[in-house]
Amino acid sequence: MLGLLIAVGRGTARWLARVGALARFAFEALASLPTLPGAGRRVAARVLLNQLRFTALQAVGLIVLLSGVLSYLTISATITQLSRVGASELIGELMVVVIVRELGPLLTALAVVSRSGTAITAELATNTVLGEVRALEGLGIDPYHYLVLPRLFGCVVSVSVLIVLFDVIAVFGGFLAAVAFGDMSGARYLGIVLSNLTTQDVVLTMVKGLVFGAVIGVIPSYEGLSVREGPTEIPQAVIRGTVGSIVVIFLFAALIVGALQ
Amino acid sequence: MTPPLLFENVPLGRIRRSTIGGPAHLPVDAEGAFSLEVQAHQTVVVLGDEASGVNLLGGLVLALDRVPEGRVLVLGTEVATLDRLAQLAFRRKLGYLPAGDGLLQNLSLRDNIRLPLRFGSDYRPKDIEGRVDVILAQLRLTRVADRRPAQTNAEERRRAALGRALAFDPDLVVLEEPFDGLTERAAAELLELARGGEVSEGGRRTVFVTGQDLPALLRRRVDRQVRIRRGRVDVPA
Repeated sequence: MLGLLIAVGRGTARWLARVGALARFAFEALASLPTLPGAGRRVAARVLLNQLRFTALQAVGLIVLLSGVLSYLTISATITQLSRVGASELIGELMVVVIVRELGPLLTALAVVSRSGTAITAELATNTVLGEVRALEGLGIDPYHYLVLPRLFGCVVSVSVLIVLFDVIAVFGGFLAAVAFGDMSGARYLGIVLSNLTTQDVVLTMVKGLVFGAVIGVIPSYEGLSVREGPTEIPQAVIRGTVGSIVVIFLFAALIVGALQ
Repeated sequence: MTPPLLFENVPLGRIRRSTIGGPAHLPVDAEGAFSLEVQAHQTVVVLGDEASGVNLLGGLVLALDRVPEGRVLVLGTEVATLDRLAQLAFRRKLGYLPAGDGLLQNLSLRDNIRLPLRFGSDYRPKDIEGRVDVILAQLRLTRVADRRPAQTNAEERRRAALGRALAFDPDLVVLEEPFDGLTERAAAELLELARGGEVSEGGRRTVFVTGQDLPALLRRRVDRQVRIRRGRVDVPA
């Protein structure tokens, strides 16, 4: 019994230490922003543009596919049932509450974690193992400036933009499904959706974009730079970065919903 | 007059990493503390095996690692006591060639040499390009300048890493295991480039080299060799 308690205690202490180190890393990364030297801004901006290309631009196809298929499946499966009970007007609420407000941000974040979160951890872990990060510091270049901040802001901007794209495609996919499977005109469908869409939904979507993007920028970067044992630790770091990001994103999604109720 | 580099009673067995990223250090079987003075314009080589602590000395000079006691004075400054930003700025005054090169694999050799100048100086882009072209020519890298490190050989990578270290034309250069895997001729050439030519007192730059071995051809070209064992200076090698 005592052994079990000790094991649980040790595990909890390790977990808390990890959360503390992660929070410190995030704080230090943000605190380094004002100290980015003028000359370094141009270089960091170039890294940021590259990150946007990898994280946002190259993910457009995946987001369009996920969003289109999800909205098509949701609307085509529910519109017939709703029409039977004379509740086809609910399609707008369903679209806004389920897809635009909840699933859109969540699925977009998961897609970005699986593409870019894994890539960030693997890249930074490789940089670390090869001594590149230490060399940067030895040359007087802050790794927060050159490696972390461009990835953090790249992820925040990318996730926000991709969530908007996801929602637009979802509404359009629902439009096609409503016209194809329901007895609803396209104009009526759009009217219902738009009447259900409030300013709060738009604000909430933007907040989720910022929060989820920050999570994907920070956790994979932290895990990548935390590799100490060598190349064999890289896959473990990628797993820690991916799972950690997914868990924190779901927790934040639940917290945001809880805070609004 | 304070020497450009001074180690005073540094316990290498109690070293702690102070960088954001980097592999863990191998344990050092140390007894006692390390002390050494490097005079201006000298080329000093410290040799030792992996467990001796020799591979920790470069990191201590740049305050990439810290120790709880003793001190390391670099150009009269105890870098470890500066705040993080001041440490980063100070390191730009030094040249650093880390063990294993530390070249960024996703940048060409030219971009690797250009990076510290673009990030840490207010030089105009045109001046930076001119400086980079001169370094590439001096190091005979112009032909392969636009290749990435993985597309070049070990000698070219080492020369590019030296070019990056010399980007700011520093007075003090720290070289970690710079000759590993190089022919004696290539190693001698690398050392001459690091010294930056001759002045009446010795080399134009002060050069501090750490490693496990020194090619025979270079033994007569350095001003001082010391051997480190169990974290302290053993006997002159």
